[in-house]
Amino acid sequence: MRLDSVSEGQKCRIKKIHITGKLMHKLLDMGFINGAVIEVVRKAPLYDPMELKIHNYLITLRKSEAASLEVDLV
Amino acid sequence: MIKVALAGQPNCGKSTIFNMVSGIKQHIANYPGVTVDKKVGRFSYEGHKIEMVDLPGTYSFSSYSLEERVAKDYIIGEKPDLIVNVVDASNIKRHLYLTFQLLEIGIPVVIVLNMMDVAERRGIEIDIEKISKMLGCIVVSASGAKNIGSKEIMEAIVKTKNSTQNYEDFRINYEELEPHIQAIEESIKDSDESLNKRWFAIKVLEGDQAIIDRVKANTSNIEELAREQEHIFHDRFDKDIPAFLATFRYDSSDIIYHKVVKETKKGVLTTTDFIDRIVLNRWLAMPILFFIMFLVYQLSIVYGYKITDYTWPILAAFKNLVIDITPKPDFLDVPMITDLAIWMVNSGNALINYIPIFFILFALIAIMEDVGYMPRMAFILDRIFKKFGLHGQSTLPLVLGGAVVGGCAVPGVMATKGIADDRARMATILTVPYMNCLAKVPFYTLLLGAFFPTEMTLMMFYISTATVFTALIVAKILTSTVLKTRETAPFVMELPPYHAPTFKGVIIKAFQRVWVYIYKVITIVMVVALILFAMLQFPGISDESKAKYEAQGAKALETFAKKSKKSKYYEMVDTKEEVSVLLNYYDGYRSNRMTASGEKGAKAVDDKYIAKNESFFKFVKPRGNKEAKIINRSLRKLSKDRKRILRNMKNEKVENSLLGMAGRSIEPISKYAGFDWKINVAFLSSFAARESAVATLGSLYENNQADSQRAEEAMAQNSGYTPLHAVSIIIFMLLTPPCIATMIVVKMQTHSYGWMMFATFFPIFLGIIVSAGLFTLGNMYGWSGIDAMTYFYFTAVGIVLVLGLFPAKFTNWKGGLSRNPK
Repeated sequence: MRLDSVSEGQKCRIKKIHITGKLMHKLLDMGFINGAVIEVVRKAPLYDPMELKIHNYLITLRKSEAASLEVDLV
Repeated sequence: MIKVALAGQPNCGKSTIFNMVSGIKQHIANYPGVTVDKKVGRFSYEGHKIEMVDLPGTYSFSSYSLEERVAKDYIIGEKPDLIVNVVDASNIKRHLYLTFQLLEIGIPVVIVLNMMDVAERRGIEIDIEKISKMLGCIVVSASGAKNIGSKEIMEAIVKTKNSTQNYEDFRINYEELEPHIQAIEESIKDSDESLNKRWFAIKVLEGDQAIIDRVKANTSNIEELAREQEHIFHDRFDKDIPAFLATFRYDSSDIIYHKVVKETKKGVLTTTDFIDRIVLNRWLAMPILFFIMFLVYQLSIVYGYKITDYTWPILAAFKNLVIDITPKPDFLDVPMITDLAIWMVNSGNALINYIPIFFILFALIAIMEDVGYMPRMAFILDRIFKKFGLHGQSTLPLVLGGAVVGGCAVPGVMATKGIADDRARMATILTVPYMNCLAKVPFYTLLLGAFFPTEMTLMMFYISTATVFTALIVAKILTSTVLKTRETAPFVMELPPYHAPTFKGVIIKAFQRVWVYIYKVITIVMVVALILFAMLQFPGISDESKAKYEAQGAKALETFAKKSKKSKYYEMVDTKEEVSVLLNYYDGYRSNRMTASGEKGAKAVDDKYIAKNESFFKFVKPRGNKEAKIINRSLRKLSKDRKRILRNMKNEKVENSLLGMAGRSIEPISKYAGFDWKINVAFLSSFAARESAVATLGSLYENNQADSQRAEEAMAQNSGYTPLHAVSIIIFMLLTPPCIATMIVVKMQTHSYGWMMFATFFPIFLGIIVSAGLFTLGNMYGWSGIDAMTYFYFTAVGIVLVLGLFPAKFTNWKGGLSRNPK
């Protein structure tokens, strides 16, 4: 499944990143590497973007970007 | 001198460390060619001179963002002796990701573990000795916010510098990638690069364009070589090099994390989690955000404005001083130097007057930045702004610009600095000037008072909310046209833990930003004011008119003489010279009294004028002296007459001036919007500062006979305008160009005169089209002013709704490895 469809409070593990270029580099730098565990903390009041916890810090992603991350629930 | 580069990820508390170590002896400049601040601090420790350069905060050390490019350019170009890397002790794992990249460069590194106190509170124990041993560098524990560790950092710098001969290049064994790194290293080994070649090889394989361009100078086929290696690697291991490197570095940080960190309170809710539950709560987030915005607005704009009540008299006193020391006018003959001095002081004062507001505003922004609320604000509102090509981070600039009630575009545009997405940042810079500028308010009040005395509230509501809608529409238009190709950044934004701001940090930031305002904005405005002055002065009035005014002046003097003859003091004022001196004395006294506050102030002015000329004093303040009162009364009349004649002269001068000609020359176009040359001149002169539009219009429409008439009444009666004209003018004013001060900050933020010109002329173009369209339609269908405004308003709202509800298919990024378009 893709990260944008993970619901609040759930945790998942990154399986594959379906994107190239700048966004991929940015995500890699922020720690979105294969096997990293992500917790969906909450969604914004208007349901987009979403707040995530990864490597023990908080980060936000728009759903359009989160859709490029393939994850497995844990 | 020891050259030190200070590096660290955003939110590691780097600036508190920088402030702590270098104190207030900081020097701010820009990195060459970009708007990124370069802060340099110089200090010495035990006889060693140290120069520390604060690199922009970056998550990584590649070349994908402007900040990263700037940081890398500095390291390669300046070759610092060592790098001080600030690491957030409470989040070691992610911060060490950057550390590994810094270590690879081949320059000695000192690690500063910042926020040790926060880490302790969260139950994080760190074995500093062990990190030091594992990474082969000195590790210092510190807390910038608590002022702990300054001496230790300096000591570590000196110690590392002194043991450079023992330094050995740091290398990570990249296992399966090693053969490829060596292959590239081999092919660039002959280049005369003094920096670590292995690092270059790694960066080339990573696809770092800045390094590739550099290496290309010596090894022109480097790109093919790199691609070749990439293919081999990909075929053999089914991995991409960037992903492989990132994973490798994160894994390395993870190893350190597991070996040196012990977390005793894992799983316990942190303060940040707790605050976020309220601040980012689905139902509370918006109300809290609006409350904070309101508070910022109230504290800075409203209370700041109140402070100007106290600072304004100082500026007014300065103006009086200038009037006192410049040559005195000889009745109708006002020396140009006096005119010029007063004009310049007025222009300067209008801007200096805003400094208290800006100081409060900048301090509050600094607090919000330091606390960590800014990215959260972007998180809450991003969805709305995204629809119009803006960014969540556009909220604050728009609010400062006046989205709520009124503001100023200068701090608004300055606050766009932090927006990561270049397209959204540009769109924000270009739309902030549409917001409700505080200085436009008197202009609206004048027009509404004259043409809509009963519908004022409704009109004001239309005006203040229409700005937001037009700005959103403009943003959408710009981002889907001229800004379409601008680089955009994905919305990948950290929400840092909340931190209490430090007083020192906030004050330093606020001062630095106010200083930028003073020396960049005010100096340039003064130059433009000078040019405008010249354009208003020349070519001056004809000899014929001059003779006419002189005759009027002579008549006024005659009247004065006739009335004053009844007084026994007449002989004191029976020549033109005497009258002229007395008149200046009288006017000077009046304006000094006007700005003096309280009994004490009034007494001081009295004393000053008694000292100046005791015998004249009875004419300005006759008290019981009946004979003096006669002079006083005719003097008052003469002063009024002179002011009137001078004003008429000035108006004629303006009408004949270059600016007046310019106003006339655009009349053929502007007439479609219902503007005559007077309105044009008012708009032209409002460039220097908005306030002058009201002054210009006011004086152009003043009724010559009845002095007691208010400007509103005069305008309604004498201009020959209908309310439809007024609406057309108001709408043009809503859309018209930023004042010069704003244009300068637009130039500063976009780093381009082209965009500055665009920011100036696009609104004029838009304004004239909308005003002319509305005016023509209004005339065709016989709309009243209020009709026209209502139609305009709801058209804007309608467009926003359509754009907003229309699903936006925006790609928020484009192409890989794209180079900076600048």
